[in-house]
Amino acid sequence: MDDPPALELRSVSKRYRLRDGGEFAAVDSLSLEVRRGEIVALLGPNGAGKTTAMQLALGLLHADAGEARLFGGDPELLATRRRIGYGPDAPLFPKELTGLEVLTLHGELLGFHHGDAKDRAIRFATEVGLAEPSRRRIATYSRGQQQRLGVALALLGDPDLLLLDEPTAGLDPAGVAAMREMLVNLRARGAAVLLNSHLLSEVERVCDRVLFLKGGRLLRTHEMRATGLRAEIRLANASELLARVPQMFASGLDGNRLRLEIPGEDAVPPLVRKLVEAGAEIVEVRLIGADLEQLYLEIVEGRT
Amino acid sequence: MSALICWPVARATFRTRLRSPGPWLVGFLFTVAGAVRGSRHGAGIETFSGPGTIWFIVLTFALGAAILSDEIESGHAQLVLLRPITRAAWYGGRLAGGCLAMGLFCVIAWLATFSAAVARGDGFDPMRFASLVLALVWGCAWLSVLTCLGAFLPRWTNAGALGLIILAWILLFGIVATLRPAWAGVVETVTRFLGPQDPMIFAEPTKPGRDLGPALYDLVWIFVPWVVGVAILNRRELARRRA
Repeated sequence: MDDPPALELRSVSKRYRLRDGGEFAAVDSLSLEVRRGEIVALLGPNGAGKTTAMQLALGLLHADAGEARLFGGDPELLATRRRIGYGPDAPLFPKELTGLEVLTLHGELLGFHHGDAKDRAIRFATEVGLAEPSRRRIATYSRGQQQRLGVALALLGDPDLLLLDEPTAGLDPAGVAAMREMLVNLRARGAAVLLNSHLLSEVERVCDRVLFLKGGRLLRTHEMRATGLRAEIRLANASELLARVPQMFASGLDGNRLRLEIPGEDAVPPLVRKLVEAGAEIVEVRLIGADLEQLYLEIVEGRT
Repeated sequence: MSALICWPVARATFRTRLRSPGPWLVGFLFTVAGAVRGSRHGAGIETFSGPGTIWFIVLTFALGAAILSDEIESGHAQLVLLRPITRAAWYGGRLAGGCLAMGLFCVIAWLATFSAAVARGDGFDPMRFASLVLALVWGCAWLSVLTCLGAFLPRWTNAGALGLIILAWILLFGIVATLRPAWAGVVETVTRFLGPQDPMIFAEPTKPGRDLGPALYDLVWIFVPWVVGVAILNRRELARRRA
C-alpha cells in the first residue's frame, strides 16, 4: 500500500464573517497534497489564502468544509505533532528568555531530555547562524534573528513535514542561502516541505512543485521538473550558421542567441556536440529554469 | 503528572516571571516587611500578616497578571501547542511556573523573617515551617483564580478584574454593615466561601494547630479554578479555530 501523503487538504474551505454581515472566503475548496521528499511552494498575492491553508493543515484553524490530514491522520494527534515543524511568518517569543532557552524548551516538549534538548538547541542555533546571539535575551534580537530562531525551532525535531511561512522574510543573503541548503538537505532525507514564499528566485531553485493561489482558490499546479529547462547558447557566428543550415536554427534564434527547450541537463553535451559539428562557434551556454515570474504574472495577474 | 503539568513550560514560566522587575521590587518590600516584624513570638506568621499580607497580595497579583495572555497574545502559545502537549498540560505548566516563582519569593521572605527572629532570640519552632506551607497554599489558590480569569481575559486584565471584584465586595460589605447591620452577619458568612481563606489560624502562636479547615478549603480553590480554567481555555481555543 502507498504511504499516505505527508500533508493533504481535501476540498477545504474557510470563511470569515464580516462586520457588515457578509462573508469572506479565505480558502475556497482547496485541495492539495505534499508527498515525502518533495518541496512544494504556495505562491499568490497577499490575501490569497496561503497562510490560512497552512494553518488549516496544522489544525490551528478548523475548516468549515473539507478535511485536512497529516500522514493520513488527524493533524491534532500528539503523535503527528512530534513529526512536524512549523515556522510562522512573524514568530514571536517570550522576550525575557534567551534563544537557547526557547529552543531547549521546545526540545523538551518534543520529548528530549534536558541535556539532549540543550545540545540540539546549540546545534540548531549554530546551523541558523545564531550561535552567539542565542545566549542573549530575545528582547535584543533583530527581525532577521527572530526569523532565524523561528526556522531553528521548526527544524528542531528533525521533522518529517516542515511548513514554513515566509521563511526568508527579513533574512540577509547568507541566511537565504543557508535556508536553501537546509531545505535541500531535508528533501534529501525524505522530508516533505510546504513553503510559502514571495521570493520567486528561491522557489525556482528548490521547489519541485508550485501551487498558484488567488482568492483562496487553487488556480494551477506547476511541476517545476516537467517544464524542463531552457538552454540559451550564445554564438559568435549565428548569422553565418543561419545562412548555411537554416533548418537547424529556424526557430529559437534571437540575434546571436539560440534558445531551445531541453528535457534536462543530460541533453546539453549532445546538443553542444551537434552544434559544434555543424560549425557553430559557441561563446556561452546558460541553463534557465522555468520563468516563474512570467508564469506568476500570467496565472495570478492574468498578464501575458 | 505530565498530563496535568508540563514541567518544561513551568520552568520557562518561572524564568520569565523572575526576569520581570515588578515581582522583584514587590518581593523585596515583602521581604523587608517580614524581616522588620520577625520576632521571637511570631512563629513565622509575621511574614504573611500585617503589612506582609499587603505585599504578599501585591506579589500574587504581579506574578499572576497576564500569566496566560502573555503567551497567547504573543503567538508563542500557538507554537508550543503545536508540540505534543495538551492545552491542559500547558495551562498546568503556566500555573505551576507562577507558583514556583511565588514559592521562591515566599521562601526568601520567610528566611529573612526567621533570621530576624533568631537574631532577636527566637529558638526553633516547627510552626514556622507550617506558616510557610500555609501561605503557599493560600497564595497558589489566588494564583489559580488569576490564571482561571486569564483564560478569558486579555492582557493583565485578569489581575485588574480580580482586584475590582475584591474592592467591590469590600465596599458592599461596608455599605451593608452601615446601612443594614442585621445583614452583616450573612454577608460575613458568604465572604468566608468567596475565594481562598486565610489559613494562618493553624500556625497562630497562641493556639497552634487549632483549625486546618481554611487551609484545606484553599486546596479546593487551587483545583476548582484550575479545572474551570482549563475548560474555558479549551472552549475558547476551539471556538477561535472554528470562528
